[in-house]
Amino acid sequence: MNDNATAAGGRARLLRKNAIMDPLDRVRQLIEIMKENDLVEIEVEEPDLKVRLKRAEAPAKPSEERGQPLQLPDAGGKRLLEGQELVEIASPMVGTFYRSSSPSGKPFVEEGSIVEPDTLVCIIEAMKVMNEIRAEVRGEVVRALADNASPVEFGQALFLVRPLPG
Amino acid sequence: MFSRILIANRGEVALRILRTCREMGIKTVLAHSAADRNSLSARFADQTVCIGPAQASDSYLNIPSVISAAEINNVDAIHPGYGFLAENADFAEVCEASNIRFIGPTARVMRRLCDKVEARNLARSLRIPVAPGSDGPVSTESEALSVAASLGYPVILKSCCGGGGRGLRVAHNDIALRNALSLARNEIANSFGGAGCYIEKCLQNARHIEVQLLGDSHGNLVHMGERECSIQRRHQKLIEETPATGINPDLTQALYSAALKLAKAAGYSGAGTVEFIADRNGNFYFIEMNARLQVEHTITEMVTGVDLVREQIRIAAGEKLSFVQKELRRRGAAIECRINAEDPGAGFRASAGTVTSFIPPGGRNVRVDTHVCSGCVVPPHYDSLLAKIVAWGGSRSEAITTMNRALAETVVEGVPTTIPLYREILRHARFIEGLIDTNFVDSLVAAGGGMR
Repeated sequence: MNDNATAAGGRARLLRKNAIMDPLDRVRQLIEIMKENDLVEIEVEEPDLKVRLKRAEAPAKPSEERGQPLQLPDAGGKRLLEGQELVEIASPMVGTFYRSSSPSGKPFVEEGSIVEPDTLVCIIEAMKVMNEIRAEVRGEVVRALADNASPVEFGQALFLVRPLPG
Repeated sequence: MFSRILIANRGEVALRILRTCREMGIKTVLAHSAADRNSLSARFADQTVCIGPAQASDSYLNIPSVISAAEINNVDAIHPGYGFLAENADFAEVCEASNIRFIGPTARVMRRLCDKVEARNLARSLRIPVAPGSDGPVSTESEALSVAASLGYPVILKSCCGGGGRGLRVAHNDIALRNALSLARNEIANSFGGAGCYIEKCLQNARHIEVQLLGDSHGNLVHMGERECSIQRRHQKLIEETPATGINPDLTQALYSAALKLAKAAGYSGAGTVEFIADRNGNFYFIEMNARLQVEHTITEMVTGVDLVREQIRIAAGEKLSFVQKELRRRGAAIECRINAEDPGAGFRASAGTVTSFIPPGGRNVRVDTHVCSGCVVPPHYDSLLAKIVAWGGSRSEAITTMNRALAETVVEGVPTTIPLYREILRHARFIEGLIDTNFVDSLVAAGGGMR
């Protein structure tokens, strides 16, 4: 007997309580087990039954609740913040964050600025290289989250933007 | 002494370094990937900085990111641990250029020793025996075949630069060598930036014995005894012990002096390990030198009482070794088992997942180095090492008894581990008698061992 169930992150081991059971009842039992455990897919191989069940939609529970590592956006990624139509401009690298091209210069963007995907929003210095960071989204800058000349890490949110229709 | 060190690594070794820094009163900055945000070392470090996404090539292996993290956090030195950037001479060079102390040998020395062809040539020039093999990198298939014909099969194909058993392949005939050569070329290009490979005679039923060295920048150099690492599978060490069992004391003395001679000639400073193969007739051959801390340094610490990471840090800060050779005492015996998240029932495939329950062993004479806790996630991006269990005893048999007890009380649920295999090895009559060689595990597994 080889019973394996694949959850979003974890594993579940299934024990068949009754060896003699109507195959349809067994399938119904498996569906219940899938619901209880939020499984998306289950594959069971038994002496008298071989079945694979797969749910059309993903389970409602977010994967974080299962102890999965927090999924960060890719470099320069954006994420929708719950309840609000805001996206983040995240740092694509570790380095020092600059809001303007010189200490006395005007910030590239301010709260209220409208940015296009190719608008330069800040500079991140890493190993003496000045990396120009673009908005990669069209919208209005709602908040600047990082202080000028402060260290930032990979994935750190730098700006919050309310997207505007392109 | 340094006031702040950046730890450019993850897992148990990040925690290992962090612990010594704490005892030395040095602040720690942990550079971690997005997958290791919730790691134990991230929790215990004084500061953390995320240097990139989960993929090691964009985080732990990304030199500009690691240097940038060191610069913005104003550290004096970087400890690279083992693996990742630990033996990357370019990285050591960038550290030097950025005025950040690299905790390890200088870039120049590293470049020389990490090129295995050059290290072999250095050993030869010092009349240290090297395993028979090609004089330099082999570039064509016909060259490889003619070298193999003159050596006699089996032969082993090795990357000129690299460690941890990667880029290593054994071939028993021409066809296998042709396949191995094309596979090795791909693997080497991916992991070591296009370094070549060379061919060595594969010595069967031999033992893998290495010598731990420590050298400072004032010319002091000591050996800290040997480690027996023959219990390996596919060139990955699984169980290590010290002292080596059933070895003629003349042979160990010869290994110590060969190791010291090589390191002295290379101008080595820091912690390093010289690896040898020894056969049943008392012959030994130099294989390579590892210019870094080794996974199995723990057993040396158990019998000597020396904190190797502390010595590494002191040496990097320009201090002298805290002891001389004749002050070093080795007491008793120590064994280490590397608990890997691998499935012995599925060809030892690495298995990522959530560790639902973890209870490490404890008690007298047991040391556990681990980054695992109940509920933690083993990401699929890195190696499968979960924990190192180390047992000490007044004698080898006492250490084995303690290790058996420690393994019996270790609980790991949620991911399969190599523990069942180790229980079997430790009970095996040949292991107990010390009749081990580098083929021991492969023959045990071939006979269906370690399956649970």
